[in-house]
Amino acid sequence: MITSPGRTRHGIFILLRRLRVPLAVLVLVYAVTVLGFTLVPGVDPQGQPWRMGFLHAFYFVSFLGTTIGLGEIPYPFSDAQRLWTTAAIYATVVSWLYAIGALFNVMQDPLFRRIAHENHVARAVRRLREPFHLICGYDDAGSRIARELSEDGTRIVVIDIEPMRADTVDVEDLSITVPALVGDASDPETLLLAGLQHPLCASVLALTGDDQVNIKIALTARLLAPDLPVLSAVRDHAAHARMAAAGADPLINPYDTFAARVALSLRTPSLHVIYEALTTQRGTAMGDVPQLPRGLWVLCGVGLFTRALRHQLTQLEIETVIVDNVLADSCNEHNCVQGDPTDPEVLRRAGVESASAVVAGTPVDIDNLAITLAARRLNKKAFIVARQTQRRNAVVFRAAPADLVMLSGYVVAAEVLRVIRAPQLASFLRQARDQDEVWAAALLERMRRHIGAEVVESWSIEFSAQATPAVHRAWAAGERVTLGRLLALTQAQGEAAHAVPLLLRREQQRWLLPSENTVLLDGDHLLFCGRAQTRSYMRFLVASQTLPQLDAPETSAALESH
Amino acid sequence: MSSERVLFAFVIVLALTLNVGFVAGDIADVSHHNVYELYAAMVVSLIATIMKFGDRSALGSTMLATSLVADLQLIAAAAAWGLYSQASGEALNAHQSATVISLAIGALVANVVSVVLLIIEMANLRR
Repeated sequence: MITSPGRTRHGIFILLRRLRVPLAVLVLVYAVTVLGFTLVPGVDPQGQPWRMGFLHAFYFVSFLGTTIGLGEIPYPFSDAQRLWTTAAIYATVVSWLYAIGALFNVMQDPLFRRIAHENHVARAVRRLREPFHLICGYDDAGSRIARELSEDGTRIVVIDIEPMRADTVDVEDLSITVPALVGDASDPETLLLAGLQHPLCASVLALTGDDQVNIKIALTARLLAPDLPVLSAVRDHAAHARMAAAGADPLINPYDTFAARVALSLRTPSLHVIYEALTTQRGTAMGDVPQLPRGLWVLCGVGLFTRALRHQLTQLEIETVIVDNVLADSCNEHNCVQGDPTDPEVLRRAGVESASAVVAGTPVDIDNLAITLAARRLNKKAFIVARQTQRRNAVVFRAAPADLVMLSGYVVAAEVLRVIRAPQLASFLRQARDQDEVWAAALLERMRRHIGAEVVESWSIEFSAQATPAVHRAWAAGERVTLGRLLALTQAQGEAAHAVPLLLRREQQRWLLPSENTVLLDGDHLLFCGRAQTRSYMRFLVASQTLPQLDAPETSAALESH
Repeated sequence: MSSERVLFAFVIVLALTLNVGFVAGDIADVSHHNVYELYAAMVVSLIATIMKFGDRSALGSTMLATSLVADLQLIAAAAAWGLYSQASGEALNAHQSATVISLAIGALVANVVSVVLLIIEMANLRR
C-alpha cells in the first residue's frame, strides 16, 4: 500500500502537489500578460488614447491563451498592443501546453494511478450495503467461487497481486459489480482497504497459491477481525499447524480433500451421492453411485498429491504403486517403481496392464496427459484420474481419455462454496462419514423416494420462543410435540411435502437421522433436507400462530408406531 | 537555510504586505486605493496558495485553507470593483468603495492568520 492509515488518501492532493510548478507558471504568465494589457497604450475609434481595463484584459488573455481568438476587442488594437499580444500568445500557449502536459504526466504516473485505484476500490467497498466475502487470490479457485457466489447474488471483493488477474474480474461477466483490488494480500493494509474490518464482511477466503501468504492472511484476519471466519487453502501439511495456530478454520487442502472424496466414493459410494446432492448448487439425489475399483492403483509422480491419495487408499487396504524418477525415502521395491512415468515401458513395469486405476499425478500437465494416453493404450478398462494444474488446459484434458480430472483450484472452490453455503451441514457430513454403506444406501433411497429428481435443499430449524412460536404455544398448552407430528403437519400442507430429518443437535449431543417419535425440546436444532417447497411449508408452519391438530388421528398413531 | 523556505516565507509575507498596502487609507474614498495593488495582492495570494498545495500536515492544511479564504475574498473584491466601474463607467462612490475595501480587509485577516501559522511552523522547526 502506498498510504499509511490515518492520513488522507485523496489523490487530488497528490495531483495538486505535483502540479505546483506548472500552476504557478500559469498564474504568473497570466498575471504578467494581463498587467501588460492594462498598461500598453491603445487608441479608441475617436482617436483618443485609451487603456484596457482589468476586466477586458483578463477576458482577452483568457480567450487568447486557450487559442479561441475572438479578435481585437473592444477596439482594434494599436501596434504596441499587437506587439504585446504576440508575446502573450506565445507565453500563454506554451504555459498551457506545459500545464496540460504535466497534468497528463501525473495522471499516467504509476504512483498516482495506484492511489486512484486504491481510492476507487476503497470507496466501492465502503458503499457495500450487503454482507460480502473477501476473496484473496483470483486464480482457478477464486474466480470460480466469485462466479458462483455472484450467481447467488452474494457480494464479493477480490484482491489479487497480479494486475492481469484482477483485471479479468471486469472482463468476466459476473452478474454484480465486484470491486477488485490489485495488491499484495499479505500486506495488512491491503486487507483493511478491501474491507477486512467492514462491519458487513462475512468471511475471508485465503486462496492465493502461496501457503505462506495464506497463513499471513489468516493471522492478520484473526488479529484485526477476531470474529470473522477465515477459510484458507493450504497444500503443504507443514503449514497446517501454523494455520491452525493462526486460527484459520476451516483449512482446505485440495489434495487431502480430493483423496478423502476418493476414499469416500470407495468406502460408501451412496454417501458420495448424498454429499454431492446436499452441497452442490442445484444438486439432486438422482446422481449415479460411483463405482471405483478396489484393485491395484498406480500413482504416477511423487508429491503431496499422490502421498495424500496413497495414505487414504492404504487405510482402505488398497494396494498402491508409486512411479517416479526420484522416489521418496518411504519407498521400497514393493510399493514403488523408479523411472519416468511418461514412458510406457516404465508404466508396464509398474503393472499398469493389470492395474484397476491409474492416477496421473505429476505437477506437470503435459506429463499427466502423456501418462493418461499411455495408460489408456496399455489398459482399456482402468479407471484413469488425471491431475490438471492449469485451468487453460481444460480443453485438452476434456479430450483426454481420463475418467476423472482433478483440478486443485476447483476442488478448493467446491469445498469453500460448501462451507459458505451450508455451514450447518458440516457436522452432519462429519458424522455421516463414520457410517457404513448400508446406512448410506438406505438414506439415499429415502431421499430419492421423498425428493425425487428435484433439487435437494437443506435447512435447519432452531426451536425457541422467537423462531418457532407455534411449537412454543403447543408446549405451553402441555402438548408433546414429536418430530413425526411436525413432519406429518408439514406434509399436510401440500403435495409430496416430505422432509428428511438429518441431524438433531441438543446441547452438546448430536443424533444422526433422529426417529419420528423423538420428542422435541426447547433449544433443539434440527437439520432437514427436502424440496425447496417443503422448506417454506415447514418454516411457515413453525412460525405461525398455533400448531394445528392432526386431522386424522390414525396418521399420527401410524407414525408413532413406525 | 534553504532557498525554498525563503521563497515560501517571502511569498506569504508579500501577500500580507500588499494586502495591507491596498486597504490602508479611507475605506470610503476610492482614490486612497490603487487597483494595481489589489491586482498584485490577488496574484501573489494565488501563488501562495499554489505553493501550499499538497502539504498534508495539520498546519499545512490550515495554511492552505486560510490562503483559499484570502483568494476568495480578493477575487470577490476585484470582481466587485470591475462590476461597479463597468456599470457606471465612473469612479466608485463611497458605498461601492467601502464594499470593495471591506472584502479586501477580510482577506487581510486571513493573510495575517497565514503569517502567524508560518511563524508557528518556523518556531516548531527550531525545537
